[in-house]
Amino acid sequence: MGLESPFIPYLANLKTATRLTPDIKLLSVELEDPDIRASFDYKPGQFALLSTFGEGEAPFGIVSLPLQKDGLEFAVRRIGTVTRALHELEPGDILGVRGPFGNYFPLEDYMGKSIIIIGGGIGMAPLRPVINRILERRDDYEELVIINGARTPQDLVFQPEFSTWMEAPRTRLELTVDRGDEHWKGRVALVPDVVKELAPSPDNAVAIICGPPIMIRFTLTGLRNLGFKDNQIVTTLEAKMKCGLGKCARCNIGEKYVCQDGPVFTLEQISQFLEQP
Amino acid sequence: MELIQQIRDKARKLLEEGAVEGIIGYEQASDGLTSRPLFAYDPSATERLIFDETCAHNLVKYLLDKKGKKMAVVVKPCDSRAINLLLNEGQIERDKVFIIGVGCPGMVETNWNHKSETLQAKCRSCQLSKPLVYDFLAGREIERQAEEETYSDITEAEAGSVATRREFWLEQFGRCIRCYACRQVCPGCYCPVCFAERLEPLWVGIRIAPEENEMWQTIRSFHLAGRCIGCNECERVCPVDIPLSLLNRKLEKDVKGLFAFQAGLDPEEPPPFATFKKEEKLEFGE
Amino acid sequence: MNLFVSEDALIRWLDALLQERIVIAPVRVQGQTMFQPISKADSCQLSAVSNTTLSPKGWFLPPTETLFSVQRDDGQVELVPALVEQDAVLFGLHPCDAKGIALMDKPFLQEPGDALYRERRSRTALVGLACLQVQPECFCTSMGSAPDDPSNVDILLTEVEDGYIVQVVTEKGKSLLPQGLAEYKGKVPTPPKLPAVPTKEVISAMRELFNDPYWEQLADRCLHCNICAYVCPTCYCFDMRDYADKGKVERVRSWESCQSPGFSLTAGGYDPRTTKGERLRQRFYHKLLYFPEQFQDVACVGCGRCVRACPVNIDIREVISDLQQVTEAKSGS
Repeated sequence: MGLESPFIPYLANLKTATRLTPDIKLLSVELEDPDIRASFDYKPGQFALLSTFGEGEAPFGIVSLPLQKDGLEFAVRRIGTVTRALHELEPGDILGVRGPFGNYFPLEDYMGKSIIIIGGGIGMAPLRPVINRILERRDDYEELVIINGARTPQDLVFQPEFSTWMEAPRTRLELTVDRGDEHWKGRVALVPDVVKELAPSPDNAVAIICGPPIMIRFTLTGLRNLGFKDNQIVTTLEAKMKCGLGKCARCNIGEKYVCQDGPVFTLEQISQFLEQP
Repeated sequence: MELIQQIRDKARKLLEEGAVEGIIGYEQASDGLTSRPLFAYDPSATERLIFDETCAHNLVKYLLDKKGKKMAVVVKPCDSRAINLLLNEGQIERDKVFIIGVGCPGMVETNWNHKSETLQAKCRSCQLSKPLVYDFLAGREIERQAEEETYSDITEAEAGSVATRREFWLEQFGRCIRCYACRQVCPGCYCPVCFAERLEPLWVGIRIAPEENEMWQTIRSFHLAGRCIGCNECERVCPVDIPLSLLNRKLEKDVKGLFAFQAGLDPEEPPPFATFKKEEKLEFGE
Repeated sequence: MNLFVSEDALIRWLDALLQERIVIAPVRVQGQTMFQPISKADSCQLSAVSNTTLSPKGWFLPPTETLFSVQRDDGQVELVPALVEQDAVLFGLHPCDAKGIALMDKPFLQEPGDALYRERRSRTALVGLACLQVQPECFCTSMGSAPDDPSNVDILLTEVEDGYIVQVVTEKGKSLLPQGLAEYKGKVPTPPKLPAVPTKEVISAMRELFNDPYWEQLADRCLHCNICAYVCPTCYCFDMRDYADKGKVERVRSWESCQSPGFSLTAGGYDPRTTKGERLRQRFYHKLLYFPEQFQDVACVGCGRCVRACPVNIDIREVISDLQQVTEAKSGS
């Protein structure tokens, strides 16, 4: 038995891998050690570092809810060495999990408010547990508007859950794509334009957004034009996180460590960063 | 002093006339003894320009950070070979560079706060009295009393057994800390993503250990074979004193022997490993 | 009470230490001095004058180390952590370097603590050597240390004629000493004086200086190598990667620095720092603002190694003085 080290991952088994889009899979993972499994508690917004031994480690938002029967879930977009190895895992294969790290969406603070969720592509991943937590406690929140955009219809993430989201009370699901196909009968528009079109009211509302930088930039402008204050807009930052422990300093944005002080920040907090992301 | 005044006057005039956006030259370092690069954008800053036997830095590399801007750069004869290399490889445009050439008496070995009387090894065999290319020559040509480059130290080292040579190099590379200063200072190293940073395929990896360091150094010297212009900046900047010039001069010797080619002498002639001629037949000895 | 150890007694002491511990001491290597494990007492080249090329931080945070290895057996996977096998003593480090180690303790021992670092730290004794002379690049007194500062070592030696004064600082130091050392009743040399650098004034102004054009101008000559970070006693950024070789997998951690291109590049291709000035600025801000704000101490010990080693003479003392001038110009004073 060696030194207990926070660098050493927990061993976990891949239970299922569901293809969500051509390059995104939903991995459901079960920690091997039952004690660790029982004590692994997390909140929406937090992330874990997944290892495939031999390729390395990478950070992923935890997209399940704690105590969910399906185990820990991660939406993994295949983009590099580690993600490709994660995509190639078969059920029963072993991987490593370190976490949970980071801060979380303060959903208790949002009770009694309307929530506008705006996600683009893989950006929907950290937002999914937020949506599901809200639906779990539906009466604690007012209106829920979900704007989910992607490049093409097949890139829309979490399609299996759309009907649940749509049928929930006082909830709207607005899908949009940059480019349709011959079957797509829905909206073809960029996410910022959808925000403009729907014009959600900033009164007693919180907007939570996550997506590609360019989508965020234009959506922010739109939200501000609608009257949203910077402390009403929340996002989760992407950074090069390696150790997750606030030690290797890769994820420094100015004085902030995204792995410890984030990844969830309000726009007001971000605007006060010395170094802008 | 007259040489320095000429450099300053020319630099100031270029800036005042708007002929260039900035001057890359030398100024005194914070030890009051050696020198360091100076970037002057304002005519008044040109008063800080100097030139003396501590000005070993090859400033040509900085032109690659200033692409698209018209810059003037102070260039010694050895540095001018870097200009030719980069012109030949399409990395700089001739009309975007104003070359203030200087004849060079040879640079001495320096360290922080320490200036020796010993000429740098590369200067002892340099026969260039002035830069090979320039727009303005400050001062005069300087006839060099140079020893001929015989590569005798290389030949001697080559005579050793493989085991001896391997032991020597693993000991040298054991000190390498992969700071990459050798790469960063080298005018021939400008790949947007260096092979050492690549993960797929993984050529070197992040481990800082003798075998990995050896891969790093040997692959880099091969990438410079036929392209290294012999400024020896890599060896000068190495914080742990690895004799990198042995590697680079070894390949320089081999390329000279095989292709009768030395880099940076002619902006029109491409390096051997960047050229393919169907009619070329290479006889490899031994 | 100070004790005295003669030159000969010091050699015998080192021999005794070598029986039970790894001894890391300054050693001459091809014209330079480096901290390395020694096998013989007389390899140790104590010098009260100059400093080593690289700092001794490499003992606690090695340039490369394996964090754990992966053993696969029959479908079972076991993660085998690296172990710290032996006690050690870091012998002959100057107060600036000892302060550097104390500064590195802050991020590494902060929960969740780095187990390897913590173990090595608790099993390594520090025997310091006071400075009798300083180099032109030294400025430890402007960074919270001093040539004779005993705060961060277990024993502090000061060279005198024929031997060394021994100042015992901690219980661990006491347990390390050989028996029968006599009391030292002579004079303790006065530490040399050092020029001052306006650290405190500049640190309090750092926030306002963030967007100053000074950084891009300074970065013009920066090569963006890693020399400054790697010779520095307090720079500690690292990278982690898996190595798979002949069926054996290891997770390895190696030195990295914010100066490297690609340091902050995310998987999606976005990089918050793209210009030379932004990258150069990060190192100064980490040392002079972020670390002080987080840990109430400046992440610089004034050892001057970066000043000596930087190929283009980016001198942190000059930078601090320049920033003071920029601040004064801005406030019109």
